[in-house]
Amino acid sequence: MDTLLTAEAAANSPRFRRRSSTFIDAIHDLPETQEMAPAQLYSTESGRLFHSGRIVIATVGLPARGKTHISVAVARYLRWLGVKTHVFHLGDYRRATVGPGKEIPDDYFHVNASPSSVLLRNKILKKCREDILQFLDQENGQVAIYDAVNPLSVGRKALAKEFAKHQVQTLFIESHCTDERIIEENVRSVKISSPDYVGWSDEEAVKHYLGRIAARIPHFETMEEKELAWIKMINAGARVIVNNCNFGYLSQRIVFYLLNLHIKSRQTYFARAGTTAEEESYKADASISDEGRDYAEKMTQTLLKHREQEREEVIARGGPDNALKPLTVWTSTRRRTVETGEYLEVLGYRVRQRSQLSQLNPGVCEKKSEEQIRAEYPEEVAKHQADPYHHRYPRAESYHDLAVRLEPIILELEREHNDLLIIAHESVLRVLYGYLMACNATDIPKLEFPRNEIIEIIPSSYSNVAKRIHIPGLPDHVIPGSPEDLKTPIPPSAPGTISPFPGIGTPQILAEGQPIPSPPLAGTPTPRSPSQPVSPSQPLQFRKTTVNPSS
Amino acid sequence: MVGLPARGKSLIAQKVVRYLHWLSIPAKTFNVGQYRRTETPTPSAEFFDTSNTEGERLRRAAAEAAINDMCKWFREGRGLIAIFDATNSVKSRRRWIQDRCQAEGIDTLFVESKCDDESIIMSNILEVKTTSPDYVGQDPEVAAQDFRDRIRNYEKVYQTLDEDEADLTYVKLIDVGKHVIINGIKDYLQSRVVYYLMNLHIKPRSIWLSRHGESRYNLEGKLGGDADISDRGEMYARALPGLVKQSVGDGRQLTVWTSTLKRTIQTARFLSFEKLEWKALDELDSGVCDGLTYAEVEERYPEDFVARDEDKYNYRYLGGESYRDVVIRLEPIIMELERSENILIVTHQAILRCIYAYFMNVPQERSPWMDIPLHTLIKLTPKAYSTLEEQFKADIPAVSTFREKGSSAKHQHSSGSSPSVTASNGSGAH
Repeated sequence: MDTLLTAEAAANSPRFRRRSSTFIDAIHDLPETQEMAPAQLYSTESGRLFHSGRIVIATVGLPARGKTHISVAVARYLRWLGVKTHVFHLGDYRRATVGPGKEIPDDYFHVNASPSSVLLRNKILKKCREDILQFLDQENGQVAIYDAVNPLSVGRKALAKEFAKHQVQTLFIESHCTDERIIEENVRSVKISSPDYVGWSDEEAVKHYLGRIAARIPHFETMEEKELAWIKMINAGARVIVNNCNFGYLSQRIVFYLLNLHIKSRQTYFARAGTTAEEESYKADASISDEGRDYAEKMTQTLLKHREQEREEVIARGGPDNALKPLTVWTSTRRRTVETGEYLEVLGYRVRQRSQLSQLNPGVCEKKSEEQIRAEYPEEVAKHQADPYHHRYPRAESYHDLAVRLEPIILELEREHNDLLIIAHESVLRVLYGYLMACNATDIPKLEFPRNEIIEIIPSSYSNVAKRIHIPGLPDHVIPGSPEDLKTPIPPSAPGTISPFPGIGTPQILAEGQPIPSPPLAGTPTPRSPSQPVSPSQPLQFRKTTVNPSS
Repeated sequence: MVGLPARGKSLIAQKVVRYLHWLSIPAKTFNVGQYRRTETPTPSAEFFDTSNTEGERLRRAAAEAAINDMCKWFREGRGLIAIFDATNSVKSRRRWIQDRCQAEGIDTLFVESKCDDESIIMSNILEVKTTSPDYVGQDPEVAAQDFRDRIRNYEKVYQTLDEDEADLTYVKLIDVGKHVIINGIKDYLQSRVVYYLMNLHIKPRSIWLSRHGESRYNLEGKLGGDADISDRGEMYARALPGLVKQSVGDGRQLTVWTSTLKRTIQTARFLSFEKLEWKALDELDSGVCDGLTYAEVEERYPEDFVARDEDKYNYRYLGGESYRDVVIRLEPIIMELERSENILIVTHQAILRCIYAYFMNVPQERSPWMDIPLHTLIKLTPKAYSTLEEQFKADIPAVSTFREKGSSAKHQHSSGSSPSVTASNGSGAH
């Protein structure tokens, strides 16, 4: 219940009371007890995290340059890597300080602003900076993402100097656009959906918005400072300039990640492998059974039919009659996934085997029943229940280990331009889903992927959306995934628990008096009550915690 | 490659090729200098003066010959990545390369190494004047002077990659990665190479490798497991700090990396440095054979036993891993090693074989058969064109986990002076 305590502490923090559009990252918040081996956090690819110190990532760029898209993506990636990361939107602080419905003064961003505006500006900056330092100094934060315009060189230098005093390294990420079309596209897709522009034509709204930015922020200096550490992304990554970033593990990783990030939209599908004759054995690497083959065929047909249907729907809505994006298939190197993919291969789809996609290694738990595991490893069971994400049974992998192993796959996943179907064991799907949907770490081991559903992940500006596609005609007994062995249901995200904000998105511009909307539910798996009809975009449900990590 | 002489181009090319080979991506360097040397083995600086038309003609011919061979190499399907190693210091030359490659359907990535730091250039010049075949048998001082003149000739016409070449895919490394410009990266492999380049540094450092002390499973001749170290293993653990001190020489601080298995953690526990545990350093997973002896493996899985001997690198234990799988999971470790300075790794035989193979450029047919003895500390010091190796033996006896190809004999006892690491003998357990 340590997480609940964390939740409570967090709920009483000034940030929560301010109801920022972002919230403390619950993904990798760890229980603050000593139960877990301290080394565990670092026994990973993130080995250097310990040394890489604390970092503020400050964004630089005019509005509508995709700053927030980048902050969100980087935060999602870092949190998934196990780095405690939090996004601070300066805009939230502005809104909170000037009060609801009120506008900041017109000269707020001007270089020669009036004394009262300068005062206001400093007050807002100070508050945000205090929260950042609080997060880094008191809450074990490692990376704070400071989402702001940071238009002037002098301001950026002062910022870096200020944080340096607290032994915090500042890394600037500038999103710079010389291509007008990218800016207009950004404005169209993100900014003008706000209530301010109801009833405007797209073109008018874009023009008005850009005009407003130009008047608001007339002075902007692109990054050239030799002494600062920065990454400049030009035209959504067509060109990237990196300055002074060879100081640490994380900065290099972020650069690599940004190199692979693209903004084109494509779908990702997840499907389970077919059943095998020897379900419980990890080591046996069994082939799929006749039932498994039947599943593979039905899954393939359902997916292809679904894709065709979606295309027709787009056309019916007046969309362009484009051909479907090519579909690439990834499987692990384990027989059951390879053989499940064979149907697609026969149909001419490109199927690639990736050894990193192998299921979680259950170690000593292999082929053991709940009773046996409880009897033989009572201490391990207790540790596992306390922290199912990080706990590792003897000889086994933890979900965290699995996430680290899958890390190169994540970068390729970001890079991939085709639609992608991943056929893998449930444990792997959990972790990949956890990345794409920014799930809470404690929830990842409990995500359920019944065999009769294909999961489709649809990217959208701030948080991805998951959809289930039903595979009809499968016998009931193949639907639940791995053998279930522990019957101790724990209360999943009960009322009062943290609901991590999935999208960590740009705050929406709210009309006066409008209540702050609750966040979209992308990251929090909501228990699905049996009586409710299944809505297609409903997130995954929880399962019981299981003792056996591989189940 | 793009850049003036003495900017570390060949060093970069050589490291990238080694890295790609290790990842089983066939790669090859085409060094224009080597082609040129067949005509003019020891040219003087005037040869490189752009106003020297004869020199210009010969250099052009060498580039032509190199690119022809390179295109042929691709057409014959012999590799995926070729490195065209020359100064390629003017725009027209780069355009010519781009056009030639495009005509063959080959993607290009230009890698420019630009450096204005005099001390780095000087140390490169020193390296070159003692190692370059252009100056064989010459007085080093004269050679250095001539080489500086040659650089000056290039400087006259040098054009750095800039914005009007924005349609090219390129990465420009300025002052060894202090400032990097990356333009038009198209695929994942390109981004991987760029990431690798960004992690390289040229600070002097060493890497120390050790297997864990002898384990109880070693004594019983069993594979895998998570056993404690034996009494002799314990002796090695106690001797290790002294051995490290002796080999480090100065008071340098190391960072110790271990696996998550007991035998490496126990072995490293007397070292007073900061320690990190990496799951990725765990021993090769022998799947169903875990906990068996070689004799038992041969008895229960005779076909597998033979298959493994035939292609040890690619053989994947039933439910376990192959060496190829291990290399994939070690890739982030290698990246991190390139980025780090002084690291001591205490891990397992198969893992050490893979790491050692990367630094020493051991081919895949041989790397799984290398004998890496217990109770020995290996020190690797990467130099510009090679890696130096030193061994420090603890003189504590241990079993040898040596297995002849085709044999299932129980591990043999041997004295502390186990055979040294030479990739030539075709044996070794796991």
